[in-house]
Amino acid sequence: MGIEVHLFMNMMNGLVWGLIIALIALGLVLIFGLIKILNISHGEFYMLGAIFGWYLIQYTQNFWLALVLSPLLVAAIGLFIEWGILRPTEDKPIKTLIVTLGISLILQYTVYWFYGGSPQRIVEPFQYHLTLFGSGYSGYRIFVAILSMAVIALLGLFLQKTRIGLWIRAVKQDQEMAIAVGIPTQKVIMITFALGSFLAALGGVLAAPIFSVDFLMGLEVLPTAFMVVIIGGPGNLMGALGASILIAELEGISSVFVSPTISRVLSLVLMSIVLLKRPEGIFSRARR
Amino acid sequence: MMTRRFWFLFFLVFLILLSLPLWGSSFYMFLVTEIIALSLFAMSFDLIYGFTGMLSLGHATFFGAGSYIFTLSIIYWQANLWVALLLAINGSAIIAWVIGFFAVRARGTNFIVITIIFSLVIFYLSFYYKSITGGDDGLPLKVPDLVLGFLSISIHDNPMANYYLVLAVVSLCYLFYWRLIVSPMGRLFVAIKSNEERTQYIGFNTLKYRLISFVISGAFSGLSGALCSMTTHYTNNKLLHWTTSVDVVVWTIVGGAGTLIGPVMGACIFTFFREFISFHFKQYPIVIGMVLIFFIIFIPQGILGYLLGLIRRERK
Repeated sequence: MGIEVHLFMNMMNGLVWGLIIALIALGLVLIFGLIKILNISHGEFYMLGAIFGWYLIQYTQNFWLALVLSPLLVAAIGLFIEWGILRPTEDKPIKTLIVTLGISLILQYTVYWFYGGSPQRIVEPFQYHLTLFGSGYSGYRIFVAILSMAVIALLGLFLQKTRIGLWIRAVKQDQEMAIAVGIPTQKVIMITFALGSFLAALGGVLAAPIFSVDFLMGLEVLPTAFMVVIIGGPGNLMGALGASILIAELEGISSVFVSPTISRVLSLVLMSIVLLKRPEGIFSRARR
Repeated sequence: MMTRRFWFLFFLVFLILLSLPLWGSSFYMFLVTEIIALSLFAMSFDLIYGFTGMLSLGHATFFGAGSYIFTLSIIYWQANLWVALLLAINGSAIIAWVIGFFAVRARGTNFIVITIIFSLVIFYLSFYYKSITGGDDGLPLKVPDLVLGFLSISIHDNPMANYYLVLAVVSLCYLFYWRLIVSPMGRLFVAIKSNEERTQYIGFNTLKYRLISFVISGAFSGLSGALCSMTTHYTNNKLLHWTTSVDVVVWTIVGGAGTLIGPVMGACIFTFFREFISFHFKQYPIVIGMVLIFFIIFIPQGILGYLLGLIRRERK
């Protein structure tokens, strides 16, 4: 295999991975934009998505059912967590962050209890291979990319065109004013949290056949998702989308030439530079 | 009155610790040595979280780095015990300076995120350079003898000497911390926690002092890691892992942030808990998560903070 084919493959993988990361990070950014808390347990929703997906596939042998049902289940869990655990501390960001840390521990080890510590695999739901640049490329990954893009476009439409989307944007701009004009702010926060968990879990089910499924997979995406939030700018949805693809491509392309760990370090360096030079993210309009 | 009661308790605890090798079994002595070494980690974390008000979720990096520098300098350079300990302090201080250089420029949530990212990436690196770090299999260690002038004491096979050495070092560090927090610089750390903007208005370079606090904390976390591997004769990259960072946060919050002794109590409680529960119940982090959430919501000042509050109310 020539280097250009290798490069092309890594770019394609980077795109697919970038879109999955975008699904995870968009939820994180949505929640952060609304209540200014960073949800450390967000990676766990991604993990839960994959775990539920694995169980559903074990029992029903139907990937498509798992793809729909698993994110809905996780969204219900997210709804419960926001309503039951996070609400008392929501006005204090640091406290809420520590609470999400506790939630993260509970979710990880509850899964470990039932699912065990060893990684499992899900087979790709269809074995179609496209021929690109003279070598095969998994059709499933192309499907993942297309579906993710469709979901992200739908999310954009939802935020721009529906009433709840309008409410979410209003609460994001000014929570007190939103209360003053009669928007049910608590409900909006709850819905956003559920939406964020849904997106992360969808990413989890989609990623499950590409990677393996284990109880620590949420922790593995956490640094990347956080880098996306910093590089894209906190609370900036388009920035998060751009940053996800940027980071995944950077890691994908550089891993042709150096080891994956070194490429991970490269993205860390990128993030540090962004942080020093443009703390508000590289995609935001310069406001000083 | 209050201070007298405090000193009385302090000396009582110190006497118990001093006499422990006379009556404690070897198992308890080992456990207590480990707890004393870990309490230095807890105090160091409290310096930046409880006093300077920066929540670092990547403190395992310094703890693990100290442990690795200590172990590697002994394995590769046959370093003397003092040199290895000094290298561990200085090495972790340098690492803390590099990470802190970026981290202190960010505030609030961004600071936390940066500490998480750095620590996770360093953990990946420790896996990648498995030939050096030993990965999760770890590295065994033969601790060199303690040389005091012409006297040479074996630490490796002598748990009692090891115990007293750890106790002496950590006590000195406690005195240092205690002196630091009542010094003008310590006051400044608290000022930064309460209101960084106003501290800047008075004319202090808060970035500089945040960095100083971060580096001191990192350096002593490294020393704590070194003392731990000195006790266990072993190091592995689990020490660098995220769970180690989470542990110290839990100790500090449950024990009481900003009290220096509270986090030590937390370390004590949770290390005992882990030692006796983890054997029967492998999923014990579930319990830790629940305790953490309970304390944050209902007793945010922690056990010691709660007790001090009770005493204060009683005096009124």
